[in-house]
Amino acid sequence: MSMAPIAQAPVTGRRRRSPLPYTWQRGYLLASPALLVMLAILIYPLGYSFIMSFFRWDLSGSAPFIGTGNYTDELLGRQFNQALRNQTIFSVVSITIEVVAGMAIAVLVNGKLRGMRLARTLLLVPPMIAPAVVGLNFRWLFNTQYGLVDALLRIFNLPDIPWLTHPAWALISVIVADVWQNTPLMVLLFLAGLQSLPQEPLEAATVDGATPWQRFWHIVLPLMRPVIMIALMLRIIDTFRTFDVVWLMTQGGPGGATNLLTVYSYLLAFQAVDFGHAAAVSYIALGMSLFVLGLLYGVPWLIAKRRAI
Amino acid sequence: MTEAVIVGARSVPKRRRRRFTAAIAGQYLALVLTVALTVFPLVWLFLTSIRSSADIFSVPVHIIPETATLTQYVAVFAQYDTMGYVWNTVIVSVATVVLVHLLAIPCAYALSRFRMPGAMLIFGLLLIMRMIPVIALAIPLFAVFAAMGLLDTIWALILSHTAAKLPVAIWLLLGFIQDVPKEIEEAAQSDGAGTVRTLVQIVAPLIAPGIGASAVITFLFTWNDLLLALTLTSSKAAQTLPVGLTNFVSQYGIDWGAMSAAGVLMVIPTLVFVWFAQGLLVKGLTTGAVRG
Repeated sequence: MSMAPIAQAPVTGRRRRSPLPYTWQRGYLLASPALLVMLAILIYPLGYSFIMSFFRWDLSGSAPFIGTGNYTDELLGRQFNQALRNQTIFSVVSITIEVVAGMAIAVLVNGKLRGMRLARTLLLVPPMIAPAVVGLNFRWLFNTQYGLVDALLRIFNLPDIPWLTHPAWALISVIVADVWQNTPLMVLLFLAGLQSLPQEPLEAATVDGATPWQRFWHIVLPLMRPVIMIALMLRIIDTFRTFDVVWLMTQGGPGGATNLLTVYSYLLAFQAVDFGHAAAVSYIALGMSLFVLGLLYGVPWLIAKRRAI
Repeated sequence: MTEAVIVGARSVPKRRRRRFTAAIAGQYLALVLTVALTVFPLVWLFLTSIRSSADIFSVPVHIIPETATLTQYVAVFAQYDTMGYVWNTVIVSVATVVLVHLLAIPCAYALSRFRMPGAMLIFGLLLIMRMIPVIALAIPLFAVFAAMGLLDTIWALILSHTAAKLPVAIWLLLGFIQDVPKEIEEAAQSDGAGTVRTLVQIVAPLIAPGIGASAVITFLFTWNDLLLALTLTSSKAAQTLPVGLTNFVSQYGIDWGAMSAAGVLMVIPTLVFVWFAQGLLVKGLTTGAVRG
């Protein structure tokens, strides 16, 4: 990700050439349309719902202030905790599978193979198609009566699996759909990372008689750390806002077994018409993803700092 | 395919020819398996969309369709009137791409070139905006647009997508503008070009690949969006194709054939961009990287 240095310090000495155009007033003039749109349609609504998450907000007209009532209701409530549990399982399991499988596949196919270009093109398709279509398609594949997956199981004389109707299986099904859609993106990301690795340390290790596994574990993996961090960050942000796949596959059911935080929040707002609780849940989701990202970047930083002392 | 050229350029003639070893066979096996698993579910969606309804609901499942037919596609348009959804989706996506870039290009230019006080705050906000769960935005937008009487209009969708996609687009374009050497702009300015002219005639053409990348990303993520459209629209006047997919489920039971055909229609823009603009897509994904 190009978090390139922002507005690098200009080469001084040449500044006299352009005293007129690069003034900050002009800068703000140019930036203001975009800033105003974001202020009006992003920041204002977000601030509004954050404030309203401390009110009883059900569109009925009167909205009394109830302090942290919405938050405590949810944090202590059964349905929220079910959604939180589902979210945790969903995020941990799907991110782990996606990153580990993505890395394994990338390492395996990294090389001068024929057809690699075509393979890359095809791998780009799942991450870029609508999650709604992915959900729909897996709902069809997992259909107990006419679906392909159970049909294949029957060929091998295995029992049918109630993919979308049994609580535990339903969560697994949603994870399978997410893994199918996002693992290819991880493969592409890691392949790009592998191909920009410096060759010298690897060759040196080979000369010193390191096994492939030792080379991967002690050289490739540490060098790939920045790419892995980006991959983790992307997936953490994304899993905490997953909605479409679940909505098309199960709508959060059966019995709330696939309610992720976003799905639960949507149901609160637009089925229970309880906007205050819904807003509170959406902010808890945001807080959690910020917290996890903080851990992801903070813990290694703390360890490094410790070592430095 | 230009494989041969690349291989020739890379592998210095240490070994004449790589022997076809078990290791390489394993690599090919991994590649083929990965690609097969990636492609197969989509092939199955396509196969379902060209089956007759009797074939779809046959037990045991036929892997190969008995006959190929377009009846499901006909039904999608004739029976479910999908054309309206398609139009809404096209209009919303195209309008969003245009608006986002009219706003984002000057903004990114200003942020990277002009020494604006408060720029760091703006960067911080842009980063956080990219992480906001869409539902946190959809809830208040519903209330705001309801108050403005904009609910269930195309405008509600265009405005909210434009705002939601701006942070990613600005972020993406920033990287490209910083790669433009400042001297070129300064030369133009000393020749008397104003700020706007410099931006339009000098900078914009130089960052064309960046604009292309962010346009493709913005288009596809808008095209694919379900949550905002589901929240802000309620009738065929403004509903988009992803919402149309959910309507197949709730209103009519589940018509799997027509639904698969609609799903295939939804995937077409992705396939087109992946095939013809793969470079732009990869650039957009690796630089802007977050779904918005």
